[in-house]
Amino acid sequence: MTAAAHPGEAPAPTGFFSSDRFAGYLLTAAVLLPMLAFLVLPLSAILLYSLRGPGGIGLENFTHTFGAPRFWTLVVNSVVMSVVSTVGTVVLAYGYAYGLARAKVPFTGLWRIVALLPLFAPSLVQAQGLILLVGRNGVFNRFLGFDIDIYGFWGVVISNLLAAFPYAFLILSAALAVADGRLYESAEALGARPLRIFRTVTLPATRYGIAAACFVSFTLVITDFGNPMVIGGDFNVLATEVYNQVIGQAQFGLGAVIGVVLLLPAALGKIIEKRIARKQHALITAQSKPLVIRPALGRDVAWSAFVVAVGVLIISVLAIVIVASFVRLWPYNMTLTLRHYEFDVQNGTAPIWNSIFVSFASAIAGVALAGLCAIVVQKVRTPLSGPLSLMAILPSAVPGMVLGLGYVLAFNAAANPLNVLYGSFALIIILNVYYNHSQAFLITSTSLNQIGGSFDEASTMLGASMTRTLGKITLPLIWPTLLGVGVFYFMRSMVSLSAVIFLINPSTQVAAVSVLQLSDRGAVNQAAAFSVCIMAVVVGCLALVRLVLVATGHRNITLIR
Amino acid sequence: MVTTGVKRALGAAALMVMLGGVARADTITVYTAYEEDEAAAFLAEAKKALPDVEVKMLRLSTGDLAARIIAESGNPQHDVLWGFAVTSMVDPRISGGLEAYKPVGVEAIPARFRDPGDKWFAVTGYMAALCVNKERIAAKGLKMPKSWADLTDPSFKGEVVMPNPASSGTGYIQIDSLLQMMGEEKGWAFLDALDKNVAQYIKSGSKPCNAASAGEYAVGASFELRAIKNIAEGFPIAMVIPSEGAGNELEANGLVAASKNKAAAKKFLDWTVSKAAANAYFSWKAIVTIPGGTMPDKFKAAGLPEDVSKVLFPVNFTAAANDRTRIIETWQKKYNR
Repeated sequence: MTAAAHPGEAPAPTGFFSSDRFAGYLLTAAVLLPMLAFLVLPLSAILLYSLRGPGGIGLENFTHTFGAPRFWTLVVNSVVMSVVSTVGTVVLAYGYAYGLARAKVPFTGLWRIVALLPLFAPSLVQAQGLILLVGRNGVFNRFLGFDIDIYGFWGVVISNLLAAFPYAFLILSAALAVADGRLYESAEALGARPLRIFRTVTLPATRYGIAAACFVSFTLVITDFGNPMVIGGDFNVLATEVYNQVIGQAQFGLGAVIGVVLLLPAALGKIIEKRIARKQHALITAQSKPLVIRPALGRDVAWSAFVVAVGVLIISVLAIVIVASFVRLWPYNMTLTLRHYEFDVQNGTAPIWNSIFVSFASAIAGVALAGLCAIVVQKVRTPLSGPLSLMAILPSAVPGMVLGLGYVLAFNAAANPLNVLYGSFALIIILNVYYNHSQAFLITSTSLNQIGGSFDEASTMLGASMTRTLGKITLPLIWPTLLGVGVFYFMRSMVSLSAVIFLINPSTQVAAVSVLQLSDRGAVNQAAAFSVCIMAVVVGCLALVRLVLVATGHRNITLIR
Repeated sequence: MVTTGVKRALGAAALMVMLGGVARADTITVYTAYEEDEAAAFLAEAKKALPDVEVKMLRLSTGDLAARIIAESGNPQHDVLWGFAVTSMVDPRISGGLEAYKPVGVEAIPARFRDPGDKWFAVTGYMAALCVNKERIAAKGLKMPKSWADLTDPSFKGEVVMPNPASSGTGYIQIDSLLQMMGEEKGWAFLDALDKNVAQYIKSGSKPCNAASAGEYAVGASFELRAIKNIAEGFPIAMVIPSEGAGNELEANGLVAASKNKAAAKKFLDWTVSKAAANAYFSWKAIVTIPGGTMPDKFKAAGLPEDVSKVLFPVNFTAAANDRTRIIETWQKKYNR
């Protein structure tokens, strides 16, 4: 689809054009070229700062950083916090996704949306919700007589659990969505108990999803500075140090050093991904029968209880912010009022429309680019697949502010022909696509990995070209996942801020910036009210898409797989 | 063919929208770190006074804006830098992009609030202030503090929050003014004592006051405007200006050397030192360096003296900027926060 974007390529002879090799390289180029321009270039632009010290080009910044004992404390803090958060997140999200996919839990669709709530609530809202709930003057302490002090390590872990949960859920849900019923039937026929079936059938079949979910959660929490800043107290991590250096003291060089260090988990993740993908066996093959979930009272009640418990936790953090946004002065004056909804911020609620446009465009561009990237990496084997898949998961290891500043450096440069994009919505949309690229790529890859090669083989043996196989076999099988990826992009683009803040200008204000402006000037309740409006818009858009699906006869397609 | 034409027109229109419109001749872009509501109020006044100049304003916090300006310095996108912290303004990577300009009427600003090279001039400022939650100190049986020294009393242990100087300019100016005031040796000893009572150093200049307002802690060290606003909002807090003398930061304006519309940019800068601007500043700012206007009643009601110069510590801003890296490194080493 982006093939037309390379006018430099001469028209190929028909025979070569139809050959799979050529099509493979063309698809690879369609993914690789924009990635080089919009990911590798800006990242290099900012990371080069790590080599620029006060004494000229060299490793001075690295030796200075690695020589400080403080740095190593931060490394330990970051790793321990991220491991604990990741394990917690993946266990909870696996249970939640498993319950929804493999037991009969009532209102499945509702619980799927609940799982995604933290995605489209600005992170500010969640931190505020936690403090209203379990802060020193929060509901538990003030009204219920507890004595909790949330600030510190556990505060960060809990807020990160919430923040990473939907990402892990989306991936694990894609991994659990499909299963070969025959395997389960034969296991049952052989008298295996449920736990043994889980260990020998389900768990191995979802190992790629688990690894991807671990990777996404880990990189997400290790690069996030928002939660540690609000609820971490004096518990510092590498990401907050990047913030200190870059925003606090305008020391790009030292910030970039830590940016480089934070890329290590991505490289490590890539190696692990490769090993796991090799061991993964496809769940769906040409002979598969869909797994039919039969009611089982004990199991269903147990999983329902688990799903409800987790879901209620997620809801309560947001619900308290919504309630507080309708209260005159929480917790001192509890009379109800709409005064926080009289937004006197620059441009009022108009930026929400900009955000809808930007998010919708990001969803389309994101599905096209990240989805195609996953297909190219998983289904089109070229020597470039390896480097491509590393680049595809790189963005999640980059703190938003590092990527945002990289965009400024790369696209504001007079020498860059792409600098016409600077200051436009187009660049913000592209930034959204690549900032969230890893998650979208991994969700699609997980789904692709569940589809066996026998489909492709059959199709190829019947004489279909690779592109035809992709169009006729692969896309129809994974398009519900791609729809979910679009929803994911839409939600993230409505609220993410840390990278976008460096690209907005007076004409391209988006809603998340309005929330920040309000919160910066102390109007915390107005900021919460504004966030509630954003969330309402997202829910409205989801409902609209759902309506379109039903109206076009796709009643059975879920928006979130 | 008609459809192709329509498609083209639509495509062109979409491209125009995507590229953010075309700039008019007398359009200038102003970057500011004033808080969003005060910036909006000032801008409304500026538009009244300058009907022929279209001002496009981008407001970001000081740290975000400094990072952005430095990253954009190869190809600056703004014409005027407005209301930007002096200790960041003197960073050579930022002041290097400015051009000397003396607006009409700049003499009204005392020379110590102006760059000797005329690259910037400060018209407004803010100062350190403590937000004290009256409900919480009553519940904990604490005495209303009057000074920084009062906060070192053991009874305040775990009840004080301050901004982290490594991430917040307000936080830095608070500790640096104490160091300048007492001399470094005594100053660090005092910070040692204060540190024993500090529950956490929050990574923003305004959040400590919000935390005290929400009742999370008894005392939040912040700046005066946030305290005044939160009092007006109805939070049960009192504003205390530390009796030792309040550290303060100036907000300065300057002309960007790369501006393509200097005539309009200069008109705007002239306005920033005008009588009309002064009147607007006075309704939002406790520190205004040019004459005009009077302090609003809510400032006085919140506890500000009419003549704030009496409670301000005369900060040496150049020294503050030069010492920044060293002091923050020492601070991080000592307190490991």
